[in-house]
This record gives sequence, structure tokens and C-alpha cells, in this order.
Amino acid sequence: MSNILSQPSKPTSGIKDPPKIALIGCGAIAKEYYLPALTRDTYILNNLVLVDSHRERAQKLATKFEVARYIVDYHEVLDEVEGVIIAVPTHLHHPITMEFLSRGVHVLCEKPLAESANKARMMVEQARKTGVALAVNYLQRLIPSFAKVKELLAEKTLGEPLSITYFVGEEFKWPTVSGFYFNSPISSGGVLRDRGAHVFDHICWWLGEKPKLVSSQNDAFGGREAVAYVQFEHQKCIGEVKLSWLASFPCRFMVECERGTIEGDVYDYQSILLKRGVGQNQRINLKSRDKTKVDIACKVVANFMRVVKNNELPLVSGSDVLDSIKFIDECYEAATRFDMPWYEIRELNSGS
Amino acid sequence: MAHNETILITGASGFIGGWLAETLYLSSSAADVRAGIRNWSRAARLARFPIEFVLCDVMDRTQIAKAMDGVTCVIHCAKGSEESIIEGTKNMLDAALRFGIKRFVHLSTAEIYGNPSGEIDETFPYQYTGNPYGDSKIEAEKVCWDYYGKGVPVTVIRPSIVYGPFSETWTVRFARNLQSGNWGTFKGYGEGICNLVYIADLVSGILLAARHECSIGEAFNLNGPELVTWNQYFQRFNAALGLPDLRVFQPSSARLRTMIMEPIRSSAKFALAHFQGPLKRISQRFRPAKELMKSAEKSIKTTPRLTDLSLFNRDAIYLTTKAQKMLGYKPTFNLDKGLEMSVRWLKHLGLVDQTRKDTGICGRIITSA
Repeated sequence: MSNILSQPSKPTSGIKDPPKIALIGCGAIAKEYYLPALTRDTYILNNLVLVDSHRERAQKLATKFEVARYIVDYHEVLDEVEGVIIAVPTHLHHPITMEFLSRGVHVLCEKPLAESANKARMMVEQARKTGVALAVNYLQRLIPSFAKVKELLAEKTLGEPLSITYFVGEEFKWPTVSGFYFNSPISSGGVLRDRGAHVFDHICWWLGEKPKLVSSQNDAFGGREAVAYVQFEHQKCIGEVKLSWLASFPCRFMVECERGTIEGDVYDYQSILLKRGVGQNQRINLKSRDKTKVDIACKVVANFMRVVKNNELPLVSGSDVLDSIKFIDECYEAATRFDMPWYEIRELNSGS
Repeated sequence: MAHNETILITGASGFIGGWLAETLYLSSSAADVRAGIRNWSRAARLARFPIEFVLCDVMDRTQIAKAMDGVTCVIHCAKGSEESIIEGTKNMLDAALRFGIKRFVHLSTAEIYGNPSGEIDETFPYQYTGNPYGDSKIEAEKVCWDYYGKGVPVTVIRPSIVYGPFSETWTVRFARNLQSGNWGTFKGYGEGICNLVYIADLVSGILLAARHECSIGEAFNLNGPELVTWNQYFQRFNAALGLPDLRVFQPSSARLRTMIMEPIRSSAKFALAHFQGPLKRISQRFRPAKELMKSAEKSIKTTPRLTDLSLFNRDAIYLTTKAQKMLGYKPTFNLDKGLEMSVRWLKHLGLVDQTRKDTGICGRIITSA
């Protein structure tokens, strides 16, 4: 029995008659995030079906997490489940989600919701038409530090934001099983679409709408960008974002406002630095039980169960993230390549 | 490269393998590149190019067979454990023999010469030193010659100290050390020859070797155009980074620091190997513990090991006369040019501190409460 399963069962959703749910995709995100959360609640576990087109992958996770049923074709459960969690490579979010939504099945979709704002809008529209929920796992909105920034900006005690600087640099180490991030024929973007999904979602959420793109640069040579730099503006506020899969640098954000500054470490969920006026930086500790991603996953999953069963609103819905997806589209459309003189490879000697 | 060539590069997500694949793509070579990687987690760099990827763990014969299908030339850059260096090379050569591969270029190292002094050409004998990397590369070369005898058209490349963008060992590590303020020049230790070759020069040498028929059955040293000492490398790298003058460590002080740090380094390695989880939790929970660990890590990383001091003191020059004569190898990046590229790359990735005014690309927000 795994360590996770040896923990006492904790019904996170508060529902004793949980809906029948399918988890589609048995890759890294299912293993590291959804299943540890889903299997904390034995009520959910008993009504769960795992789906993956690779039988061995589904079987492996079913065994590890003691899920009784696994299948290879999600069409088998189209008319059977009440809710579905979509954890497949990004380019498959749209077609699979559309199928379930059109059958009246509630969907919780992994981020990024879609490869383009057009597809995301179609998904939101389909959910509206069939009267079901389209929840999205933009989990970082639930993290106390990011939520505190939103709260401080909304209450306006620091005045209007004047600048936002946001850097996320980490070498790519996600244990992707399918390699879909990098497999050119099926991949749908690089670091902008991946790390940028959260970063630009925060920015749009904090500002209340999509900012105006000023410039966008990246390092792609016809493949997937691994480093991206974006500048934007919104009313009085200017901003810059740097994202990298190639190097680790301090992952931080800073929002300078008219009467103070908010700073944070992207991975410190429990505190931010706040400077009011010309005073000193003050560390604000944020009390929360949500210390890890699995803690957040439990919240997301529990909410989704109540969305399906009790028509509760999703914590984050598809329509909430349309602005950021549109902004990322704009970044791709406007992108120019960085000046990288080390790639000015001279003509190879013919050596003949 | 010739038309209708398909080149499989093993270890393509690594420093040299990545450069080879990128260079072949950017130079509009007629050859098709197939990038062999062990897993996807380090593919981000190469995925910026629309290059074909194949899973090719050199310890997995099934993957090798799939990766090798339709290939005309193999450039074997994969490394890893001693076992994968030796057995992995054997697996690749075995497949090359079965598939009738036209060219097999094996990336070895000048470390196979051990700790020599003086001018070293390719006739210098193997020297085992107890260094697992160098010793296993000797074994891998022996496997190469064995398969050459069986008919595999093998060429062996022995690079010296390869630096430049994406070099973790000789560029990123030293940039961080220099920036830490704890690094310096080492009197009595840093006067050995550094044998630097810029990555683009090495890559052009490898591709020349892959192209020339005369290189089959031969080994080639590949080195740079300029001979400098290690202390000179540190000084010039430091200047290129725009940092204040380096401190000078006297021989006794350099050795003492290293001797003190050796047991600390071993203990830290043991602790990380056996207690990584608890240490991570402690550092997450207690800020002072996190600061202490960071400070210890910095000291360990910025103090040379005994093996480093020995390398910095090595008085050997790896000659490239053979490569120049047989392949037309002409390294063109002198140290200033190579360092300029390296520093621009380091700044681009935010791997060195810079003020936000420098480039506007990547400043650092560092503020503490």
C-alpha cells in the first residue's frame, strides 16, 4: 500500500454520495496531483474510473492508488459519468472537453484550458449551452500569497498599481510521460503557454482585465520557446514578465503601487512582503492549511464534487481565464526572437 | 554533411549533443538530425528547434534499435554512470554493426591521458587515475577499437576543456563562483594549462571528423587556439563579467580551505543522499535553517576540490596537429571571443546578476524583509 493510502481517509468534499467521476489521462499530473487528492476521499475513490489510451499507464496508477476500474477509451464512459477531470496533453483538452460538455457532463480541465482563446471560448460557450460547469485547474489562484495580492489590490489601500514585475525561471524537470511538451507534431506551445498560464492569469486577475501587450520576445527557432520576455501596460501600470525553462533564477513577483509595494516568492505560499508608504518591508504571514500542491488539489477536487452534485460554482471557471489565454495568444502573434549571437553559426567548412 | 544523411546524436539533450543538433539545424546542412534523448525532462533546450526526437537510452537495446533505423551516421555523445559510458557505448556499437552504419563518431575526452605533463598527442598511452569518468572513458574507447576491428567505421574525438553557452561545468559553475566573491586565483595551483576549446570550435571539429573518410579508425584531440593558464582563465572570465579584481589565494591558504571543506562536502553529500526529504522539510519550515543550508552550499560550491587543484596545476598541452592536418580543423574562437559569447548567454538566461538597466531582459528582484 502506498504512503498516500496509508493516511487516514479524509472526506474532503463532504459528500457521502459522490458522483461518478472519470479521470482522463494517467500521466504525471494525474499521478502527482489529482490522484493523491482523489484517493484521500474513499467515497470518491469508489466511484472513480481511470482512463488512458495506454493501458499500462492506467493499470499502473490504478494499482498504485487502488482504483478498481480503468479503461483505455473515454467514449465508454461518455454517458456514464456525471463529471470528468481532463488531464491529457493540452492539444486534447478542447476536443475531449467538448465531447463531454455536449453530453451534459461537468468538466474540470487541467491548465492551460486550451491552445487558443478561440477554442477556450468554444468550450465556455458549450458549457453554457448545455447548462453544465466548466471548471479549470488554475490552482494558483487558491494559493494564499497570490490571493492576498488580489485582496490588497482590490481594496485599493495601496492605491493603483504602477508596475508589475514577474519572473519565473526554473529548469524544466516535469516528469512528463508522453513528452507532449516537446513533441513537435502534438505540442501546443512552450514556456509561455505552460508557466505563462499561471503568471498571466495572475496578472489579468489582479488587474481585473487583460493588459495591453507592449512587446514579446522568445527564443524559439520554429519549435517551442524555452525563454520568453513580455512587456505590457494597463492604465497607469507597466509590467514585465520573464519566463524560463532553461535556467533557475529567483522566482518572484513585485507589484509597485502608488502607496506601497507587494513582493512575493512564487513558492512561498504562506507569506508576502508588504511595504506601506515609505515604511520598511513587513513580512505578512498568511495562515493557511494549504501548504502543498496536493492540499490545493484536495480543495479543487472537493469543490468539483460539489459542483457536480450540488451545483456549487467552480472555484475557477473557464470564463475566468479567457483573458489570460487571449493575452498569451497575443504574445505568440507579436513575438520576435531574442538577439542570440552565439547562434550565429558560421558556414561549416566543406572539408572536401 | 552529404545529402540523404540521417545523423543520430545520442545525449542530444546534453551540452555537446545539444550544440551538435542545433548547429546541424542552423547551418542548413542537408543531413537530417535525429536527437536521441534518454527522457523528456531535459528536452526543453532542443525543442526550440523543429528537430526529430527519439527516445534512446543507451542502456535500452530496444530503444537503440528503433532510434538507429534508417540512420547513416551516429555521433555518440551520451554519458552518465560508468556502466552507461562503457556498456552504453558497447550497445550503440553493437547496433551500429548490425545496422551497417556508415560512420560512428565517439565522443571521448582528453581525460583518458590521465595527469600527464608536456605536449600530448594522440599516441600518448591511456593512463588510469582512479577518476571514474576518465577511467570509464578509457574502457569505452577500448570497446570502440574492438568494434572497429569488427568493421564499424569508428572515429574517436578527445576534447579538452569545453566551455561556452550551456556548459554547466566550465562556464556556469565558474561564473557563479566568480560572482560569489569567494573565488580567486590560486598561487602555486592555478598555473597549469587550461586547454580551453569553445563549443562551436569543438562542434565544427566533430562534424569535420564525421565527414572525412580519412578519420575512420583514428582518434583526434580537439583543443582551442589559445593557451592560457587556469588563473588567466579566471581573471579574464572575471573581467568579462565586469566583476571587481579577484583575490589571490596563497598556496597554503588555498590548500587549507580545500582540506577543511573536503569532510564538510562529504558529510553534506551523505546527508543529501540519505536525508533529503527531512532536510527539505526543515528548510521549508525554519527560515534560519534554510539560510544556514544555503550558506553551507555556497561555501562548498565555491571552494575548489582537491581534484580541482590538481587539474588547475596540470601542465599538459593537448596537441591538435593531427586534426589540423587530416581534417583541416581550425579553431577560430580565441578566449576573448568565447568569453564574450558566454557572458552574453549567461546574462540572457539570468544566470549572473545584472542590474535591470543592463539589458532590460532579466534583472533580479531581491529584497528581504
